[in-house]
Amino acid sequence: MGSSLQGKRRSPSSLEAGGIVGVCALLFCWAGSVSAQTLPDSPIVLADRNLTISGSVAASFGSEDLGFFNYTEYERSVLRTVRLELTAALTAGRHVTVLGALRSDNGERPIPHAFYVRLRPWAERPFDIQVGRVPQTFGSYSRRTYAVDNPLIGYPLGYQYLTSLRADAVPRNADELVGMRGRGWLSSFSVGEPTPMAGVPLVSAFRWDTGVQVHAGGPAIDGTISVTTGTPARPLVRDDNGRPQVAGRLEVRPVFGLVLGASASRGPFVGAAAARAATGGETAGAFTQTAWGVDAEYARGHYLMRLETIVSRWTLPLVGEPRLRLPLTATAVSVEGRYKVAPGVYAAARLDRLGFSHVTGSAGRASWDAPVTRVEVGGGYSLQRNLLLKLAYQHNVRDGGRVRRQSLGAAQLVFWF
Amino acid sequence: MGLGGGAPLLDSQAGGVIRGRVEVPRERAPLARRPSVSSFGAPAGRSLPDRRVSVVYLATAPAGTPPAPAPLKPVTMDQRGETFIPHVLAIRTGTTVNFPNSDHIYHNVFSLSQPARFDLGRYPTGQSKAVRFDRPGGVRVFCEIHSHMSAFILVFDHPYFTLTGPDGTFSLEGIPPGTHDVRAWNEGDLSDPARVVVRPRDAVALDLQVR
Repeated sequence: MGSSLQGKRRSPSSLEAGGIVGVCALLFCWAGSVSAQTLPDSPIVLADRNLTISGSVAASFGSEDLGFFNYTEYERSVLRTVRLELTAALTAGRHVTVLGALRSDNGERPIPHAFYVRLRPWAERPFDIQVGRVPQTFGSYSRRTYAVDNPLIGYPLGYQYLTSLRADAVPRNADELVGMRGRGWLSSFSVGEPTPMAGVPLVSAFRWDTGVQVHAGGPAIDGTISVTTGTPARPLVRDDNGRPQVAGRLEVRPVFGLVLGASASRGPFVGAAAARAATGGETAGAFTQTAWGVDAEYARGHYLMRLETIVSRWTLPLVGEPRLRLPLTATAVSVEGRYKVAPGVYAAARLDRLGFSHVTGSAGRASWDAPVTRVEVGGGYSLQRNLLLKLAYQHNVRDGGRVRRQSLGAAQLVFWF
Repeated sequence: MGLGGGAPLLDSQAGGVIRGRVEVPRERAPLARRPSVSSFGAPAGRSLPDRRVSVVYLATAPAGTPPAPAPLKPVTMDQRGETFIPHVLAIRTGTTVNFPNSDHIYHNVFSLSQPARFDLGRYPTGQSKAVRFDRPGGVRVFCEIHSHMSAFILVFDHPYFTLTGPDGTFSLEGIPPGTHDVRAWNEGDLSDPARVVVRPRDAVALDLQVR
């Protein structure tokens, strides 16, 4: 039995995207040749244990998304992305830690999407101040966007689906806004930046905001407030509209396994240049995104359930007739479940709905963007503890746009250490 | 450290003893916690496992190895301070291991090792779940929620094994007379097998070095 007790360590292989069939074939061959738990499984520790580096690779291969249902503000489908991510924590004594994360999608230049200092004034008290490019205060899903934390491959609509709204361009009137229904992946308006570009989601799962975040809590309750430059839909590094966002989140854990959360945020959304183009004055701070969210998670035994609702309201400049009916409201509801059917095997499902308030244009009353419903089912199989293969099928229905229904399949391989 | 159904249970009068020390070239650092970049604050403190403990065992069961006494006494691997305690268990096939949760947070014990694939699900403080290990081999145990929690359970189909102390010393007792290959294990690494001749009621000195 000696050899069966010996731990083997290998380096992770790089993967080349060659389509879903090729990857599945590769995975099955790999799974057949690799015994359980043979890849490195722990973060790299350096500098006398003061520097910890971990990483992950999530390679997703899915059907072509002709309806752009899964596109992100980075203009790529989450079902067809190979993401490499490195995270690091450098501790300097018991009170100071510097944290950062680098991300590269599809081999592009790495982006430092997180970089901040965490200060803990009293080492034994759960009170932290974070300064820099910090995690989003708003919402629950925004801090578990890593592929290993997502039981499926797609994202909740509220965190990923692109509405037609942009911060650098605003619609001249209700007709122009309604004309962009279902076209958030490449939206254009006549006031502000003329180049067609992606709109924004309700809350960005892909960008972190910049500012100061204060957190305090204990086993049963904790709270976080932050002052940052952007908004949930549009986190920023540099402020472009003169006033900060204020956001807060409260989490309570009344019984084991149950987490209830509530979030709120308010901040200027429209950039100064677009506001000037719309109003002729410096009133960017008046055009805001205000968001509320509630979420719940319950886990016990082999199942896990999550529910999250986000309501986002935007106020835009009123430029011409027919006028927008403000605020523009979007509501996202997501219900997600995971059940472990056997060791290393789970099944999961998510139901999403994204709806929009109505405006009245020349052609009548319509929602300002096209409502979307998505059902995603799938599962995962752990080839080893830190090597997970996911398969998912998703069906999207949209009340607008050129493609109104689309079913998509995807596979994803996730490796982390 | 933990031991279940090992050599001390046998009639040590009839066999010999192998005593010595296991040398580990470097003490392995415990699994680090992944950087908590997406958290609002620093994670809670945790206990650190003792990774100096090695396991010494006969590489193959001698002929005539007696069957395990039934039932074998259950052993415990606790979850406390986000650490499995003990970090290493050596048990005989047929032993049941209890996994109580002594932390005020959820844990989810699981293993994907071939000798024992199991997933106990999430359960709260004060509760315990158990697994019976019927196949010999090395079993790595993890927590699904806390990736820095890991432990080893070495399952033997004979009773001739023991754990070292933190200083590496060991005493493997009740070994049947004859020629045996002895190995040491530490954190997944092995020593070369060392051949020893054991005589009745005799003690053999043996030092082992894990590679």
